[in-house]
Amino acid sequence: MPTATTQTQLDHTLLALADPTRRAILHRLTQGEARVTELAEPFEISLNAVSKHIRLLERAHLVRRRKAGREHFLSFNPEPLDAATAWIEEQRTLWNYRLEALDALLRAEDEAASADAVKKGRKR
Amino acid sequence: MSTEKKVTVRVTRRFEASAERVFNAWLEPERARKFLFATPTGQMVRADIDARVGGSFCFVDRRSGEDVEHVGTYLEIDRPRRLVFTFGVPKYSSDNTRVTVEIVPRGTGCELTLVHEGVLTDYVSQTEAGWGKILGGLEATLSGMDVAAEARA
Repeated sequence: MPTATTQTQLDHTLLALADPTRRAILHRLTQGEARVTELAEPFEISLNAVSKHIRLLERAHLVRRRKAGREHFLSFNPEPLDAATAWIEEQRTLWNYRLEALDALLRAEDEAASADAVKKGRKR
Repeated sequence: MSTEKKVTVRVTRRFEASAERVFNAWLEPERARKFLFATPTGQMVRADIDARVGGSFCFVDRRSGEDVEHVGTYLEIDRPRRLVFTFGVPKYSSDNTRVTVEIVPRGTGCELTLVHEGVLTDYVSQTEAGWGKILGGLEATLSGMDVAAEARA
């Protein structure tokens, strides 16, 4: 089970990903570092609105900010996505374990049945 | 604005056993207790199943002296093709998640696809629907034969 801290982090991550503009910004940053003004260019929204999106992405730690003199450079940080994928992986592991156990159970029944030479093709 | 954030897991597995046998194992306490919410180190001390739409189930797994209840309700029972149920672990979370099991005959056996829609958090926060698709994109669908070795007892 995730801890409260992980859950808050997850909330930020999921909220950050819930908006198409923010996803587009992230997508652009996966191709390399960029200035805020460069990021804003393709969007038909104000620089202010773009800045708000970037703040949400920063809060989720999906975006890092580097200052060089008066310039601010932004880059993509994939780590926060790991929490969400961790949950998925954990559940997948559990279900695989369960389905493996189900398979083993049915195979064991088959083997017991053939051992008893009871082959009536009973549908259970 | 939705207050739930869901994430989806999909797992597929091939069985040599027929669709009927695989399906029925989910609803028969004697079989279900051996695989469904069992853990490698736990001991299943209770498995109650009321196999009707609207009926509920309760599995209790004893893990290091602690009893962990898994409870849920059957939403759809379409034998031997489709089974949908909710389930939750009240000890850990008030959330209910939803599981859909679909079984398709393949030769003399069958193929089972399980989709688990999970709620990640109890917290009410302002998240729009639709992100599940993004996270879904992060998943790689497993081939049924490729079972995580670390999940074995």
